[in-house]
Amino acid sequence: MSRAETEFGAPASSASAGWRELWRKEDWWAIWLGLGLVLAGYFLFVNGSSLRWIAVTPAKWATGAQLLAHFQDNIARYLAQFLLWLVTFAIALTALGHRARDFVPAFVFLYLVSVVIFVIGQWDQASTYNLEPPLVALVLGLVLSNLVGLPRWLDAGFRVEFYVKTGIVLLGATLPFTLIVWAGPVAIFQASIVSIVTFLVIYWVAVRLGLDRRLAATLGAGGAVCGVSAAIAIAGAVGARREDAPVAITLVIIWAIVMIFVLPFASAALLLPAGIGGAWIGTSEFADAAGFAAAQAYGALAGKNGIAGTADQAVFAFTLMKVVGRDVWIGIWAFVLAIVATTRWERTATGGRPDIAQIWWRFPKFVIGFIAASLIVTAATSGYSLADFNKTVNPALVAPLKDLRSWAFIFCFFSIGLTTRFRELANAGAKPFLAFSTGVAVNVVLGFVLSAYVFAAHWANLAR
Amino acid sequence: MGGERCGSCVHFRNDPAYLETLFAGLAALSSADASVRADDGHCRRHDRYLSARASCADFSPAVAAGLTQPDRSPGTR
Repeated sequence: MSRAETEFGAPASSASAGWRELWRKEDWWAIWLGLGLVLAGYFLFVNGSSLRWIAVTPAKWATGAQLLAHFQDNIARYLAQFLLWLVTFAIALTALGHRARDFVPAFVFLYLVSVVIFVIGQWDQASTYNLEPPLVALVLGLVLSNLVGLPRWLDAGFRVEFYVKTGIVLLGATLPFTLIVWAGPVAIFQASIVSIVTFLVIYWVAVRLGLDRRLAATLGAGGAVCGVSAAIAIAGAVGARREDAPVAITLVIIWAIVMIFVLPFASAALLLPAGIGGAWIGTSEFADAAGFAAAQAYGALAGKNGIAGTADQAVFAFTLMKVVGRDVWIGIWAFVLAIVATTRWERTATGGRPDIAQIWWRFPKFVIGFIAASLIVTAATSGYSLADFNKTVNPALVAPLKDLRSWAFIFCFFSIGLTTRFRELANAGAKPFLAFSTGVAVNVVLGFVLSAYVFAAHWANLAR
Repeated sequence: MGGERCGSCVHFRNDPAYLETLFAGLAALSSADASVRADDGHCRRHDRYLSARASCADFSPAVAAGLTQPDRSPGTR
């Protein structure tokens, strides 16, 4: 059964409630896949083996001969890894209603180009030319989709959100749970300040410009919480007009892509430590996928050119700020705005009583996998001394999961470019653009002040 | 559960493929398969994007209309 033949008009009770969500939402598939890899890695580790063999990545290289030798020596490992991704993603996407016959050729293309992108990033001169894999993947994808053009059916393999959510679950395995507990409250506090202020600014400006309140709320959530996902969630919660969500989607995409380049380069120009740069990106980027591209690009600069810290600090700070600080609250935003929409705003022909259960329905479930992965690895490795962890656990268990995460993120970054077709985006209009952009300006400045001054010590010392 | 709610109305569509076509750019930085969407969908009668648990006076049951699936007439995609 194809994606276009499923879930038509499914009754409300069957579409969101019960166990059906476990195989009909990509968040859960990201959990099954991500935690499956974590558990497989742990099982192999305790039995004296490792995921290392299949978690192959291109090595650092300086000459073509080195590169050729690497692939000659490891071609079987790449083939096995390709099949692992292909089969697991195909199972998940087929369950979600995509056609396997569309996905397979699309993923072959995606994987082959991702290998090339990874190779470029491993060139010993890559940083000299700012050839960070996230940025290369994004630019290459944008060029292919906007200047060359690819068949639409290939989109079945370019699932940005599924790849980033899988990567986030794998990221959990490399992030100590104690760090989440220690840094989480500050992330939530900082993110809450910025989210509330950004939402109110966008909403207030939009209403002052005469825009409909439901559009204003959709724009505000898109800028303040988690980008396109928040915009679509709030549009549904408040019963927005059909044309409202595409306006917010257009503005989020444009600003998110701008920020992928602006935030890392601004952070580098200001010589922000990696943790601070990551926190700023986590506060001021608009979507998880775009934010990871920016945070990973900035992390790659850590330890060079006067930028203190490590790549992990940038990614960890971003993750705590964006995922823990902002994403998990979307259900509460939706519930509160649904109440406001039905009690304070002009009535529409359609409506319904706001249901507090939507806080759970809309909860980004992949976060559960992220936390679970962190808990599993933290508990499994708690008995090791730091020396033993670095000598045994890290190379055999954590590092392979980190390398698999890198692959998932490259698939994601390349897919962002491949699915962003500027000419197909809705015309946002001057007033929504002005309202949203005002919020962007406030968000970026406030995010910088909080990250680089108010909580600077916290973020600079994260995961030291 | 369901009753006269939008989720079981002939005018309501919430399949992910339809929504990703309806909302250009949705799949670039998000997805119609995401949990945050819950079961929201498009009401073709009122041209609104809303919860499957919403309702209105124009409810028309999909099953009673002889449809096992909602209207897929041309122009909706």
